[in-house]
Amino acid sequence: MTSDAVPGGDPRRLLSDVRDLAHRVRRDQRVTWAALLVLAVVTFAAIPFDWFGMQVDCKATGECEFDRMGVLYYWPPALLLAYAAIAYGYRRIARSRGVDARILPYVITGVALIVVFLGAWISVRYYIDHNPVPTEPLPYWQMFLDRLVAPSGLIGVALLVLARLERNAGLLLFTLAYLAVVLIPIDFGWQTHSSVRAEFVPQQVVNGTVLLLGAAGFALAQRRRR
Amino acid sequence: MTAAAQPAQPAHPVTGLDDVVHQRVRLGVLTIAHEARRVEFGYLRTQLQLTAGNLSQHLGVLETAGLVELEKGYEGKRGRTWITLTPAGSTALAEEINRLKLLIARVETAETP
Repeated sequence: MTSDAVPGGDPRRLLSDVRDLAHRVRRDQRVTWAALLVLAVVTFAAIPFDWFGMQVDCKATGECEFDRMGVLYYWPPALLLAYAAIAYGYRRIARSRGVDARILPYVITGVALIVVFLGAWISVRYYIDHNPVPTEPLPYWQMFLDRLVAPSGLIGVALLVLARLERNAGLLLFTLAYLAVVLIPIDFGWQTHSSVRAEFVPQQVVNGTVLLLGAAGFALAQRRRR
Repeated sequence: MTAAAQPAQPAHPVTGLDDVVHQRVRLGVLTIAHEARRVEFGYLRTQLQLTAGNLSQHLGVLETAGLVELEKGYEGKRGRTWITLTPAGSTALAEEINRLKLLIARVETAETP
């Protein structure tokens, strides 16, 4: 685009230039790898909180009741800090490239997800306290919903929002793969052969690893582009 | 006796084009500024492949028309100029893009045998 071109010009070319420029500016504001790295770190850091914060009560019959209090106390502040870090990182890195990014959508998304998580958690607690403990396994759709409003599921939802805000097709594809891993858990038998505490660890490690690999992939792609 | 009212012909999209916006560089400035909260002078210069003087002239036109705001400041010892799109600039950009789409639609309709 040069200034000595005639004013106006072919409308098709002008519109094509506009789209190309808009795409380039959006791309220059993306720091997808940093967002995925922060979320991976938060996911891995959750493991000890969940392990030590879990209250397990096993009866002589072998049946165990557990309460993942660590999850409740860890995730809301962790998500808040994670989104604050992501917003700060986005602004700082984009500014160094000469673009001052809009970060308010990221902050709103983070706060909204924390409210959803807390709301879902309190609802489940209320239901359990006022209803008999189910003796049969929960239906599949309930388990699916449970996984969706759990922190790992909400991270996936947040990434979907991020992909929409950034109009980032690559991130959308990655997020769909991540959500598939989170919502259709991988089980190589560890759920039946491990202790209650250890039961949750493999899935958390898998989720964190997927995020970490995603961060590495996006960082590599960005480095190649530059 | 008066003549029967002629059905109003819709105005050709070209008639609505704004000379300030309908210019490659200025349209580029507005497009880039629209995609971020604000953009730095150097970034605009690189993206639009312009000299500093040339870009300043175009920014002056846009600022006078009230379509962008310029904010000068320092980052460390380095002077920096940030460009922000005003609400009027955002509206002007949207209208220009609509008119370009209308023009293309007109041309395509005319080209269809």
